Amino acid sequence: MSGHDSKYFSTTKKGEIPELKEELNSQHRDKRKDAVKKVIAAMTVGKDVSSLFTDVVNCMQTENLELKKLVYLYLINYAKSQPDLAILAVNTFVKDSQDPNPLIRALAVRTMGCIRVDKITEYLCDPLQRCLKDDDPYVRKTAAVCVAKLYDINAELVEDRGFLESLKDLISDNNPMVVANAVAALAEIQEHNSRPIFEITSHTLSKLLTALNECTEWGQVFILDALSRYKAADAREAENIVERITPRLQHANCAVVLSAVKMILLQMELISSTDVVRNLCKKMAPPLVTLLSAEPEIQYVALRNINLIVQKRPTILAHEIKVFFCKYNDPIYVKMEKLEIMIKLASDRNIDQVLLEFKEYATEVDVDFVRRAVRAIGRCAIKLDRAAERCISVLLELIKIKVNYVVQEAIIVIKDIFRRYPNMYESIIATLCESLDTLDEPEAKASMIWIIGEYAERIDNADELLESFLESFPEEPPQVQLQLLTATVKLFLKKPTEGPQQMIQVVLNNATVETDNPDLRDRAYIYWRLLSTDPEAAKDVVIAEKPVISDDSNQLDPSLLDELLANIATLSSVYHKPPDAFVTRAKTASQRTEDDDYPDGNEKGYSANVGDGGASPSTSSSSVPYTAARQPSPAQVMPAPASPVPDLLGDLIGLDNNAIVPADQPAMPSGPPLPVLLPASTGQGLQISAQLARQDGQIFYSLMFENNSQITLDGFMIQFNKNSFGLAAAGPLQVPPLALGAAARTLLPMVLFQNMSPGPPSSLLQVAVKNNQQPVWYFNDKILLHVFFSEDGRMERTSFLEVRSLFHIALVYCGTKLSKPYIMQDHTAERSSSMSIWSVMFVTWRSLPDSNEVLKEFPGIMVGSAETTMDRLAASNVFFIAKRKHANQDVLYFSAKIPRGIPFLIELTTVIGNPGVKCATKTPNPELAPLFFEAIETLLKI
Amino acid sequence: MISQFFVLSQRGDNIVFRDYRGEVAKGSAEIFFRKVKFWKEDGQEEAPPVFNVDGVNYFHVKVVGLLFVATTRVNVSPSLVLELLQRIARVIKDYLGVLSEDSLRKNFVLVYELLDEVIDFGYVQTTSTEVLKSYVFNEPIVVDAARLQPLGPAAIFMQGTKRMPGTAVTKSVVANEPGGRKREEIFVDIIEKISVTFSSSGYILTSEIDGTIQMKSYLSGNPEIRLALNEDLSIGRGGGTIYDYRSSSGSGAVILDDCNFHESVRLDSFDMDRTLSLVPPDGEFPVMNYRMTQEFKPPFRINCLIEEAGQLKAEVIIKVRAEFPSNITANTIAVQMPLPKYTTRASFELEPGAVGQRTDFKEANKKLEWGLKKIVGGSEHTLRAKLTFSQESHANLTKEAGPVSMTFTIPMYNVSRLQVKYLQIAKKSSSYNPYRWVRYVTQANSYVARI
Repeated sequence: MSGHDSKYFSTTKKGEIPELKEELNSQHRDKRKDAVKKVIAAMTVGKDVSSLFTDVVNCMQTENLELKKLVYLYLINYAKSQPDLAILAVNTFVKDSQDPNPLIRALAVRTMGCIRVDKITEYLCDPLQRCLKDDDPYVRKTAAVCVAKLYDINAELVEDRGFLESLKDLISDNNPMVVANAVAALAEIQEHNSRPIFEITSHTLSKLLTALNECTEWGQVFILDALSRYKAADAREAENIVERITPRLQHANCAVVLSAVKMILLQMELISSTDVVRNLCKKMAPPLVTLLSAEPEIQYVALRNINLIVQKRPTILAHEIKVFFCKYNDPIYVKMEKLEIMIKLASDRNIDQVLLEFKEYATEVDVDFVRRAVRAIGRCAIKLDRAAERCISVLLELIKIKVNYVVQEAIIVIKDIFRRYPNMYESIIATLCESLDTLDEPEAKASMIWIIGEYAERIDNADELLESFLESFPEEPPQVQLQLLTATVKLFLKKPTEGPQQMIQVVLNNATVETDNPDLRDRAYIYWRLLSTDPEAAKDVVIAEKPVISDDSNQLDPSLLDELLANIATLSSVYHKPPDAFVTRAKTASQRTEDDDYPDGNEKGYSANVGDGGASPSTSSSSVPYTAARQPSPAQVMPAPASPVPDLLGDLIGLDNNAIVPADQPAMPSGPPLPVLLPASTGQGLQISAQLARQDGQIFYSLMFENNSQITLDGFMIQFNKNSFGLAAAGPLQVPPLALGAAARTLLPMVLFQNMSPGPPSSLLQVAVKNNQQPVWYFNDKILLHVFFSEDGRMERTSFLEVRSLFHIALVYCGTKLSKPYIMQDHTAERSSSMSIWSVMFVTWRSLPDSNEVLKEFPGIMVGSAETTMDRLAASNVFFIAKRKHANQDVLYFSAKIPRGIPFLIELTTVIGNPGVKCATKTPNPELAPLFFEAIETLLKI
Repeated sequence: MISQFFVLSQRGDNIVFRDYRGEVAKGSAEIFFRKVKFWKEDGQEEAPPVFNVDGVNYFHVKVVGLLFVATTRVNVSPSLVLELLQRIARVIKDYLGVLSEDSLRKNFVLVYELLDEVIDFGYVQTTSTEVLKSYVFNEPIVVDAARLQPLGPAAIFMQGTKRMPGTAVTKSVVANEPGGRKREEIFVDIIEKISVTFSSSGYILTSEIDGTIQMKSYLSGNPEIRLALNEDLSIGRGGGTIYDYRSSSGSGAVILDDCNFHESVRLDSFDMDRTLSLVPPDGEFPVMNYRMTQEFKPPFRINCLIEEAGQLKAEVIIKVRAEFPSNITANTIAVQMPLPKYTTRASFELEPGAVGQRTDFKEANKKLEWGLKKIVGGSEHTLRAKLTFSQESHANLTKEAGPVSMTFTIPMYNVSRLQVKYLQIAKKSSSYNPYRWVRYVTQANSYVARI
């Protein structure tokens, strides 16, 4: 080969495609190869060269592996857009899969698996079967992966052809590469399947542990990760496993080391002997530290994992704190993680060393890092009470440098230290006050004001200090306003003299009349009422004893920590989130598996039924999920749709036990009547009724086909036009051939965000259905937003407290006298408790600008009882949050969420038992409001 | 497993793009690049190597200015993916000789062929250049290495002594030499990156060595190789019996905290006589990585003084003393020191007769920079700088300036005293005498003196 590949990119002449076409059909092999390279070059830069499909495929029959590979690369890219032409390649594929050269056999199988065209998939089975038993390990390992590819395209085919069994056989293969790929393929298939497919028995365990020693590094990771699902029977077995795994800790590949660490940590849970555990901890420490010598990217992953490990087993790295000291050339993401771990490992023994480091970091150039370092000092003070004093002296030293952001950060952490150790370090307040006028960040300002209010009695000129802020009150950010309000009230309660009294008038006036901020207004009204009703009670409330705060450096919830530890060496351990929080794989395969759960009873009823009708459909329930055909004999009458159905959507696929249709009843089709979208009169006798539905967190298109024409209809296919939500079918439409007079019902799984149409959201869903006998039918459906409401749309209610506080705010609103003001704890400066006082809902509701609030009245709708409405909405994933009474009206708050995390907060105002509901919603996407109201109206009407 | 792999240039251009599973939408490269370019989260301005956007997980590593990226939707092992990205870069470099945007573009067909063998359906198959040779048929088009920045730890030998054949490290392992037959040679590089932090009073606060024995073999016929290390080498620190025994036996022992080996290395006799035997695969690979926190003599001592010198003025004196033998020379030394934020001007004064030194005051980030071409062992160099401030300093000047950091390369010197005692090539022929290059180098990783 001569010249540079890059020349293939530089064709600028006109008529590029015809020129290439000519070259592809050239007599000379070299010329053809060059031409294919040019085509590939054009393809990689995004040019459409699909029109050359036939010409390129013609070059496929060659002994030249280099050329063959190029053609295959082209095929993988374009086969999907040219399925009919791709068939042309099948013969060569099948031939290649029997080629004497193992490289060609493997190449054929590898490529065929990448071509996701149904027709080709059928031809793949025989070659695959052969290759799984090939003599050459390279072919077998390629075939093993190909099974996973095929499973992704057509799971039933894999199961029907017994490929799963072949894969399992490969676990005992004598070539470790083959074993590793078989394990990887089985693990992936298992992932999509609720049924146990790849169970690790003690027998497979020992086979895999043996293979582990001979595998490539990558294979070792596959095997270790698969083995981490194995639950050892007892401590002895666990110890045995650990013994086999421990040598992996010496591997140069970080992935192997981390996967081995994960395995060992899991087994350690079972080991009771403290000696063994201590010994294991000792063995794991050096390899974990060595990970920090790798590239910074890997260091980052290691640090995130170590962060979890030291939370569970702090002893492992207790003596290694020095290795987490930051290097000046560490990337910022590494430095930040190291800081976290340093705080976690800080102890009375090493705190001096740690503080010395933090102090250095606090004078570095990177502002964000400096801030974190200052916070770290504060966090250590809160964590280690014996070191608090030293921490504070370091903070004071830093304040003296007078670097603005350092001072501000220090004041924020000192406020927390005051909270943690009341009446210990207040002597430094004077020093803090010196920096008062340099504060310009809201959080620092708010913290300083909190300190002044909290210690008003000790600061002689507290009133002057606060007064200086009051002038700018209207311009301050809300955070500062809230603190000013509370601090002034505290000042007044502590020093009820003339000055503070005037100040409080000004503040209350500002915070009630002049402000638009409801948080501030509500709080001010509460204070106002408290102060005017019972100043003593006000004192009890506002200057109440505060709960002691604790160190938040081990903030992960124990159950979450355990889940994350079980996911060490996965992404989950880097994000510190459980896998389901970020894995959003379109679960096409998992639906296929659900038909395995098809209750037997239902199947019986179904087959008994078709038996009556004679000609039984050729398909079994396992290959036609969610579908059943009706072959009514003349004697059989279709059951009335109104037959008692407890749950309207629940029994469509017979998953509910109580929905199993008794065998002696005519079974199909069941379910609620669907709106007719294509009447038989329009569809030449074919009637289609359909509606979107949601079930088990998945969106389905529920369809019913009734054939009233004169012929049998088969080969049904469906397609959706571009729509606002990108709704599209997640799999092929599975409808059996319909004899005349027959009907079939099916649930078609749907996916979102596939083919989005631009423009404002619209509820229009255009559907096209075709079959082999009739023209293509087009009809329109309406997308009802509520099928998108997801199961996780419930707003978190952090505690009971906030509900009570909500209730009190309501009382204040209504002018009712507060009966028990003591419920209001100190809702002052503490970041944490201010969140817990105000319901998350209110915060979210108010954090959205008013322009995001949309209102609609439903004059015709009546709410009979709040509970029924709540239950009904909850069934559609609209979740109840809170309720209050306003005059004679009831106000109900709900939340809902649609995919991509778009929340809706809903306020329904109505007089129970009277028609007329006012619905207000807030959402970051107000353009969806019309659709949203439509959905709510539908739900309320039912 | 991964879904896609791609390589982007610094400008975000797609150089290589391969989709293995078709589950991540096409625009992922643009989404990724925009996210990385305008990263601003958790108060950080540099994107971490792993992040998630709309359900797609992006992994990336930077290699010679190129972004190697992988995407996936599932909960994979992130260290596997990041390690894989590094290895892909290494394999491509092995094949192309030079890794650069230019060489990738010129060899895109070969790169795609490699990628198809390295990854199948998102699963790593192999990253061994040796294994790949039997499946990959395209031949590399070698770009002119002279113009390009070399890659890899061994590249540092290019700058140093003339004895080293400079082209060797940018030679493709598969391409034939223009002269016909390949030269029989093997390179063994002992590369140590050292991190030292000195306290303001000159004590060593932390010190660490990250070492690698790197090998690159151009031997035909893959003969077995035996590599002997110091016999007194011991592994494990703190509480181990070996440690107690060795440390009492004198100061000569080399004690590693931890080490790991390449999978081709056999350790049959390692415990006995500290020899490693292996059949080196083609391409560059680390035979052994090791880590040491045992005390060692730092190659440089840094002294720094900053004090006020009149109103709005201060003087800085930095002294660097080379504490290694005089037959050794360090090169490409750079000393840096952040100055107080309100510094407006700095004028420098070098020692008389200074050659190959340059000084600079970086106005934008208020940094002093001092570059020295070379420093001979045993010598001492001084820099004086007069600073002008725009305002009074608040408190202690030492809190607002510093620390002094230093980067350098010292060829033919290693601080750990780990040595390759001999390199034996098991090939029975008297005429067979390939070139054996055993080279040592010490580099600064994080070399910092606080003031």
